[in-house]
Amino acid sequence: MISYKKIFDKAAAEGLEALELYVSEERNLSFSLFRGELDSYNISDSRSIEARGIYEGRFGYATSEKADASTPDYLIGHIKQNARLTNSDDQSIIFRGSEKYRRKNVFNKKLQDTPVEEKIRLAKEFHNAVTSGSDKIREVEISYEETTGAVTLTNSYGLKLTGKANYAVLFAQAVATDDSGETKSGMIFRLVTDIDKLDIREAADKLVKDTVSQFGSGPCDSGKYRCVFGGNAFASLLGAFLQNLSSEEVQKNSSLLAGKLGQKIASSRLTVFEKPLEKNASFRYFDDEGVATSNKTLIKGGVLQTYLYNLTTAAKEGKPSTGNGYKSRDGKIGIDLRNVFVKPGTLTEEGLFEKAGEGVYITGISGLHAGMNPQSGNFSLIAQGYMIRDGKRAEPLSLITVAGNLFDVFSQITAVGSDQELRMNGYFVPSVLVRKISVSGK
Amino acid sequence: MITKSTALEVLNEALSTGADFAEIYLEEDDQTSIQMDNGKVEACNDTLTRGAGIRLLKDLRSVYGYTNNITRAGLLKLARDLSESFDGERVLQVKSISKVRQGKKHQPRIKYSDFPREELIGMLAKSSDACLAYDEKIVRCEILFAYNYKTVEIFNSNGKQFNDVHSRGRYTVTATARDERGIETFHNRPGAQKGMEFFLEEVDMDEEARNAAQSALTLLGAKECPSGKMTVIIGNGFGGVIFHESCGHSLEASSVSKGLSVFSGKKGEKIASDIVSAVDDGTIEGAWGSGNIDDEGNPTARNLLIKNGVLTSYLVDNFNGRRMNEAGNGACRRESYKFEPTSRMSNTFILNGKSTPEEIIASTEYGLYAKNMGGGSVNPATGEFNFAVNEGYIVENGEIKYPVKGATLIGSGKEVLLNIDMVGNDLLRAQGMCGAASGSIPADVGEPTIRVQNMTVGGRGGTVK
Repeated sequence: MISYKKIFDKAAAEGLEALELYVSEERNLSFSLFRGELDSYNISDSRSIEARGIYEGRFGYATSEKADASTPDYLIGHIKQNARLTNSDDQSIIFRGSEKYRRKNVFNKKLQDTPVEEKIRLAKEFHNAVTSGSDKIREVEISYEETTGAVTLTNSYGLKLTGKANYAVLFAQAVATDDSGETKSGMIFRLVTDIDKLDIREAADKLVKDTVSQFGSGPCDSGKYRCVFGGNAFASLLGAFLQNLSSEEVQKNSSLLAGKLGQKIASSRLTVFEKPLEKNASFRYFDDEGVATSNKTLIKGGVLQTYLYNLTTAAKEGKPSTGNGYKSRDGKIGIDLRNVFVKPGTLTEEGLFEKAGEGVYITGISGLHAGMNPQSGNFSLIAQGYMIRDGKRAEPLSLITVAGNLFDVFSQITAVGSDQELRMNGYFVPSVLVRKISVSGK
Repeated sequence: MITKSTALEVLNEALSTGADFAEIYLEEDDQTSIQMDNGKVEACNDTLTRGAGIRLLKDLRSVYGYTNNITRAGLLKLARDLSESFDGERVLQVKSISKVRQGKKHQPRIKYSDFPREELIGMLAKSSDACLAYDEKIVRCEILFAYNYKTVEIFNSNGKQFNDVHSRGRYTVTATARDERGIETFHNRPGAQKGMEFFLEEVDMDEEARNAAQSALTLLGAKECPSGKMTVIIGNGFGGVIFHESCGHSLEASSVSKGLSVFSGKKGEKIASDIVSAVDDGTIEGAWGSGNIDDEGNPTARNLLIKNGVLTSYLVDNFNGRRMNEAGNGACRRESYKFEPTSRMSNTFILNGKSTPEEIIASTEYGLYAKNMGGGSVNPATGEFNFAVNEGYIVENGEIKYPVKGATLIGSGKEVLLNIDMVGNDLLRAQGMCGAASGSIPADVGEPTIRVQNMTVGGRGGTVK
């Protein structure tokens, strides 16, 4: 272990104009159960120092997991070399600090202190609840993963910010087989910071129901349908849509939402917030450049309120950063979001089915990394879900694809559900009803 | 990275509570990346990762942990913490460690660290210019060049020490085309487990960049792909992702051994059409997914997975092999010391058949020619998969007619393998990153041009009946 001062001293001696260190420490505890018995158990402890410095006006980057006497030379030497090779026109800025930071404590000591035996007992209880839920359940895999992450951002202007958070994710996958030998699988996850708030019974019931209700599924006729996107499916679409709010994409000619500030880009029923200061596991009061974050409205009644900026993209337009500078690849600061919320509507899921009358209910879409082009907005994705008939959820669907254009889908939202909850991708969103979507099946 | 005596001490500490196997995996990985946007270098980064993972096995239980602290004290603490999850008596004491000599293939001839970075950046800038100059509709060219040099050291309670070195480099070019019809992007990304010689002698980066530009332009003018059941011709090279996703993952011991795979207990049975044979081969010189040994020290192998449609072998690691009464066959891999290793693919591909690609197209009355595939995913329990077609064309009356975009191929592995009715003779491998339980690892996919009957195609261009 070395003192950071030695790295700053080395930077000054080598003529760096400014230096920033972003130190992340992570501790993990995870285990999995197979057939109710402990199958694997993992623990870890790791740390990395991501450094970026300005030399001759440009950024150079270096990262090390090794922290010994050789580390200052490694980091500063590579920063100098890499800065010299860079010729981007972007302004290089290391931040002096925001006027005000809204610190909150989101670290849950009780979660950390709960003995691992207790966590295993809980997972076993979960396993038993799933297996006893239906005689069709053939295999259940449960995993528990607890992460404690701490970051320290410190720079040569004397700014020092720290954050620490922990959370646990309980994940279960069930495989069910019916009398005809047909196999279906389902999964569920629950993210908690307070282990007492975990409702095992509710999660197990939902998993069993979601899995066995798929029996007899197949494709529907190809065609255009009214569509209720369940929360997880809608959250994935929203994630791709919001990439277009990045000022970097806008400035580099890659966003179809360029020039749309203050204009209608989605249905008037859609309002989207970013709430990094919401007290949960994703809470952050500063971004990865040290800029204070703030809660804000991104889309209000379908109208685009703001693009998202980091220091570099903001400087290009002479604006302040919106506190959305997060590390993307190899230390470079990109643009990202924390804690996305969609304002819920008044209809329950059942209410949405009723309003749809006839259509499809899409509970899951997958393959976004390949089947979604966030730039053009075109997508074609494998999906699963149910038919909606007579305003009610009907037979299960599988082996279908839904295809469309994001911008069309978002402008055709006719109702937003009341079931706002945390989804797989970390967004808090409800289900929505969309006027028309192409489904290909048989 | 550590001495034999430290390794002995740590292994024996780990075995103190009854584990029947212990392993220390040490790794140091020197990585460099260069990011370029429209010809300007936006960022250069060097990253040094270093750490160790310790694995303990006891019957059908595994315990794994990792740390960056690879001092004697740090490793002993990790070994002790891990051993606490067992409460038995010692069954094994390691007395000595001997180094296992193995092949020294897949080594760089021109090390990246010996090649001047200025010169490399000059080459990248030239390819960026080639891309941007290709057509005025090309509005953006992004390039990522990344390479690494990774040394691995493994000690285990069989008294063995293994060492290996991996050096990989990869060039990714993304072209963005834009006009009044919209925006389209396309990327090419060749890579190899070789040194800089790969980019000096085997790959023409300018050509790759121009090809990406051309494909992005093609997409700009492409019609939406129609949907429905149709004959699909899948192009060679990255088209092999279909086999990787729909079959390869389901042959991994991690799911086979637990009865979670559609192919569990199917060895010796017919799972594919008679004209399909396929291998996983981690021994190919300099290939993206190759190695001298796998990540638990077993020598890599050429495993014949399917022979004339019959399932002949799974991909097995030592631990999951315990459930199957099979020994590991060189297929145990991990992204880094941060991942417990498990059965994974290396370079996996369908072998050559007899038809020429021209014959395959000429004999197709109507269908989709999926020339260039994107990525995809599969549900290992049901075998249902999906993947995107990056570049596709409609074939009518034996001729390629017009480009289409937005197509997705979906189906289940079981069915698609049985529905392959033509296999070409133009086998090609392509590089990918494969993500699963033990992290994201470099893996080649590959195949000759193949034809699949009656496949479900998703798209927005109306329905084909």
